[in-house]
Amino acid sequence: MSVIVAASLTQRFGSEIGLDGVDLDVDAGEHLAVLGDNGAGKTTLLRILATAARPTSGRIEIFGLNATIERRRLRGVIGFVAHAPGLYPALSAAENLEFYCTLQGVDRGRVAEVLELVGLEELAGRPADKLSRGAQQRLAIGRAVLHDPKLLVLDEPDASLDSGGADLLARVMRGRTAVIATHDHALANRLCQRTLMLRRGRVVGVPTRLRVVH
Amino acid sequence: MRSLAVALAVARKDLTSEWRTRELVPALAQFVVLALVIANFGFQIDSRNAPAIAPGVLWMALVFAGLVAFGRAFAAEREQSSLEAMLMTPASPAAIFAGKALAAALLLVLCEAVLLPALALFFSVPLSLEVVSAVLLATVGMAVLGCLFAAMVARVRARELLLPLLTLPLWIPFIVFGGQAVQVAMGGGGGTGNASGLLIDLDILFVVLTSLVARFVLDD
Amino acid sequence: MTKYEKGALAAVAAMVVAAGFIFLYAPTDALQGPVQRIFYLHVSSAIAAYGCFAVVLIGGIAYLWKENAVADRLARAGALVGVVFTTVTLVMGMIWAKPIWGTYWTWDARLTSTLVLWIIYAGYLMIRRLADPGRQAARFAAVVGIFGFADVLVVHFSVTWWRTQHPGPVVINDALPPQMLVAFFVTLACTLFLAAVMVAIRYRIEVLMDQAVEKSVPAPVVAPTEAGSAR
Repeated sequence: MSVIVAASLTQRFGSEIGLDGVDLDVDAGEHLAVLGDNGAGKTTLLRILATAARPTSGRIEIFGLNATIERRRLRGVIGFVAHAPGLYPALSAAENLEFYCTLQGVDRGRVAEVLELVGLEELAGRPADKLSRGAQQRLAIGRAVLHDPKLLVLDEPDASLDSGGADLLARVMRGRTAVIATHDHALANRLCQRTLMLRRGRVVGVPTRLRVVH
Repeated sequence: MRSLAVALAVARKDLTSEWRTRELVPALAQFVVLALVIANFGFQIDSRNAPAIAPGVLWMALVFAGLVAFGRAFAAEREQSSLEAMLMTPASPAAIFAGKALAAALLLVLCEAVLLPALALFFSVPLSLEVVSAVLLATVGMAVLGCLFAAMVARVRARELLLPLLTLPLWIPFIVFGGQAVQVAMGGGGGTGNASGLLIDLDILFVVLTSLVARFVLDD
Repeated sequence: MTKYEKGALAAVAAMVVAAGFIFLYAPTDALQGPVQRIFYLHVSSAIAAYGCFAVVLIGGIAYLWKENAVADRLARAGALVGVVFTTVTLVMGMIWAKPIWGTYWTWDARLTSTLVLWIIYAGYLMIRRLADPGRQAARFAAVVGIFGFADVLVVHFSVTWWRTQHPGPVVINDALPPQMLVAFFVTLACTLFLAAVMVAIRYRIEVLMDQAVEKSVPAPVVAPTEAGSAR
C-alpha cells in the first residue's frame, strides 16, 4: 500500500527553482533516505512531504488524501522533525511536551513515555535552552512522535544528535513509514531500505534498494 | 471544546515564558513612565488643561507600547520555527492565533496597570471605572488587529516600518472612541455619545474578522 | 493599434469631453468662484478610488477562497490605480481647501478618511512588494485589502461621530443646480471609464509580468535549509 505518491513536484521561489519535477513513492512501513548536498532540495522536498509547505505544481497524495488540500487532517498522522527544533526556551522539556499534548489532542501520560523513549527522563525538568544541542534534538524528535504518527519525516536529525543517536532514530522509526534526509550515507544504509538522491532539485540516478548492512 | 483548550494552552505558554524571562513587561512599564515624564515637559500641563491633555498622552503611550507588545508576539526568530511546529498539529490556526492575541493583550493590560495610576498621579486626573473599562475594551480590539499584522510582518522584511503602517490606520477608531470616553470621564468636556458601546461593536467586528482570516496569515 | 491603445485614446478623449463640461458648460459657483470647478474631478476621483478598492476587496476575497490567479492580478491592478486616484483626490482636496477654508488641511471626516485610505493602500502595495512573491504576497495583500476596506468605512464613521463632539469647518453642501449636476455626472462617468481602462491596462501588465517570471531560465539555487522563512 502506498503511503506517499508524488508526481512532478516542483517548487519555485520567485524565479528560482528549488525542486524540479520530482517523482516519489513510498510504501507502508518503508524507510526512505533522501541524500544530496546542501542546496540540493532535500529540505524543500521534506517540507512538502510533511505538509509544511505546498509545491508550486505537481501532485502529492499521502494516505490517499490530496496533501495540498487535506493538510490539517494529515498533520494529525504525520510527525515532522524540522531543520530547526522550534522549542520554547523558557519551558522545561516536559512542559514543551505537555503543551504539544494539548495541541495534538493526546493524553498527558504520553509525556513520560516519550521522555523515556528519547532518553530524557533525567532532564525532564530542565528548561529547553539549558539543554545541550543533542538533548534538544532528542526532545524535538520526541515531540514529533508524541501523537504516534504513521508517517515520520525527519530533516537531517543526525546533524546535532549525540552518540546513540542512530539507535534512537532506529527506535523511533521502527514500525512507521519514514522519510529521512541526511548527508550520512552509512546512517542511510543502516536505517533505510531505499535511497533517493537529489541534485539541484532533481532526482539523479535511480532510487536504489539498499541491502541493510550492519 | 478543543479550540478553547488550545487557545488557553497557547496563552498560558506565552505568559509562562514571559514570566520566566521577564523581558517585556518591565521594559514596557519603564517606557510608559518615561513617556509620561516627557509629556509633562512637552505639554506644560497644569491643573486646568490636564483633563484635556491627559487622554491624548494616555493613548499615545498605549499605541507605542501596543506596537512593541504585539510586535513581539510573533517576532522572535525562534517563534517562527515554533509557530510552524504548532501548525503541524490538528490544532486550528484560529485557536492558536486567539491564544497569542490573548497573551499579548494581557501583557499590555499589565502595562496599563502601571500606566493608569501613574497618569492619575502625575497629572492629577481622576481614574474612574469608565476610564478603565474604555482602556480595556480598546485593548481587546487593538490586540487582535496588532497581533494579526504582527504575524504577517514577522515573515517579511522591513517589519519595523510595516507594522505601524498597517496597524495604526486600523487602530484609529479605537483611539477616537476610547479617547473620547476617557476625556469625558476625566472631566475634559466634549459631548456624551456612547463611546463604550461603539468600542464593543468594534471589538466584536474585528475579533470575528481576524478569527476568519487568521489561518491565511499563519499558514501557507 | 492594440485594443489597449484604443482604450487609452478613448479614455483621454472622454476626459477632454469632461473638461469641456467642467469649464464651458457648468456655471461658475456664486459663493466659491471658479475654484469650485475642482469639485467635479475631486469627487469623481474619490468615487473612482473607492471603486478600485472595491475591486481589490472582491479580488482578495476571491483569491482567499479559490486561490484564483486572475482575482489576485485584478486586485493588484485595482490597488495601484486606486492609490493613484486617491492621491489625485487628496491633492485636489488640498488645492480646493486653501481658498475656501483658508487652510490646506483640516481633520474633518472626509479628508481624514481619505488620508487613512491612502495610507492603508500604500501599505497594501508595500506588503505585496516585501512578502515572498507568489502565494504569500497574494494572501497577505488580500487580508490587508479586506481590512483596509472595512477600516475606511469605520474610520469615516468614527471621525464623523467625533466631529459631532468637536465641530469643525463645514463643507458647503448646497443642492447642485441642474447644470452642475449634469457636469458632475458626465465627469463621473468619464473618470470611471478612465479608471476602468487604467485597471485593464495594468491587469495586462500584471499578466505579462507573471508570464515573464514563469519563463525565466531556472538557475541552480540554494534552497532554504532552515524550516520557516529562510530569507
